[in-house]
Amino acid sequence: MNQAEVDTTQLLKGVLDLAVLAVLSEADSYGYDVVRRLRENGLDHVGDASVYGTLRRLYQAGALNSYVVPSDEGPHRKYYGLNNRGRKALDQSAQTWVSLSKALNHLLNGRSNGHGK
Amino acid sequence: MASNDQASDVAAYAASVRAALSDLPRDQTEVLLEDLEDHLREIAAEAGGPLNERLGPPQQYAEDLRAAYGAAQVNPARQDPALHDLQRGLAWVTGSTWYRQTRAFLPELRPAWWVLRAYLAVLILMAAISAGYNLGPIPNPVTKRGFVEILATGVAIWLSVRIGRRSRKLSQTALVLAYSANMLIALLAVMVLGNMRSFAYSELIGTANPQQTTFANAFAAGQVTNIYPYSQDGKPLTNVLLYDQDGRPIMVDKSEAQTSYPIGADGKAVTNAYPLTQRHLNGDLVVAPRVAFPPWPTPTTSPTATPTATPSPSPH
Repeated sequence: MNQAEVDTTQLLKGVLDLAVLAVLSEADSYGYDVVRRLRENGLDHVGDASVYGTLRRLYQAGALNSYVVPSDEGPHRKYYGLNNRGRKALDQSAQTWVSLSKALNHLLNGRSNGHGK
Repeated sequence: MASNDQASDVAAYAASVRAALSDLPRDQTEVLLEDLEDHLREIAAEAGGPLNERLGPPQQYAEDLRAAYGAAQVNPARQDPALHDLQRGLAWVTGSTWYRQTRAFLPELRPAWWVLRAYLAVLILMAAISAGYNLGPIPNPVTKRGFVEILATGVAIWLSVRIGRRSRKLSQTALVLAYSANMLIALLAVMVLGNMRSFAYSELIGTANPQQTTFANAFAAGQVTNIYPYSQDGKPLTNVLLYDQDGRPIMVDKSEAQTSYPIGADGKAVTNAYPLTQRHLNGDLVVAPRVAFPPWPTPTTSPTATPTATPSPSPH
């Protein structure tokens, strides 16, 4: 693992809650499916353990509902979905993210004019 | 990947992750790892391949999980360092490739155990119903008992395999019962097999003991090379013919001295007329030993048996 990847992982950790909440706001989902959807949306570096741990923590914090759906082929799946508390948390985090990313973009735009990478 | 391998792969991986997080408070790990197995199974089913390749080493997975969950880091000062080392060591062992390979392989030995336990069960049964019987590890098919034992073993194996193949569908209590029965068989088998060995040992001693076949060996003092008969009043007798309980002439051990036997009318040597006439290698006659006669109570009659010098070769 090189230095650049470490940084990506660190960055992801900060926004993983938001990303997971966002995925679940589209549709209820189970652990592995959340990972897959995050990766499909371009978050290639997201780790399975990180997502699973985040889901468990958000559930423990009371932001998620959980229910089990039997599956024909394979184990039964534990689905997670947002409850009111989760939706509120998502809204707040999304606002924070928007203002934060705006500020960061501004900073980065000024910098990228000077020298690339 | 076969579903069987997959299941044991999941179980081993989950066990390693749990071991790596064993320092967390119990209530935290319970919530965090509640459905870890189901989640890993999902990954194994959809992604394929060993979990170790797909997710990296279980220790790393555990650390990521710990970080994402935001679990409280255990204060190192609060924890016994020896215990921590032990947990680390355990996590290292359960996370190692050979451990997971061994764990994955063990289920394949199940049918072998089914056969073995049937054999052992019959052995235990035989030992129980035939106390003192010289039980061997392999029954002798020629004897009636051995034949029955082999037959019973065959039936037991058939039964045991049937039970084993159905064990997946057993309820929780039935499974506990089955495990207990297996343990009991193993325990009793150790006892029976232990006894068996001592049986074989004593048997060996028995056959090693030389049978006392020769006349001379009956005398603990050593070889008997001649017999000197005396009458009750102490007179030496000559040409006394000795026979054993079966009417066979009694022969003594060969001595260094040369023995000359009287020749019968039929031209055959009479070899059981005592004392034998023996000469040393230098030609001198072997003289009779000095003997101490027992003190008889009160001699009433003194039978003077003086056999003739011409014995007949056959008695009666």
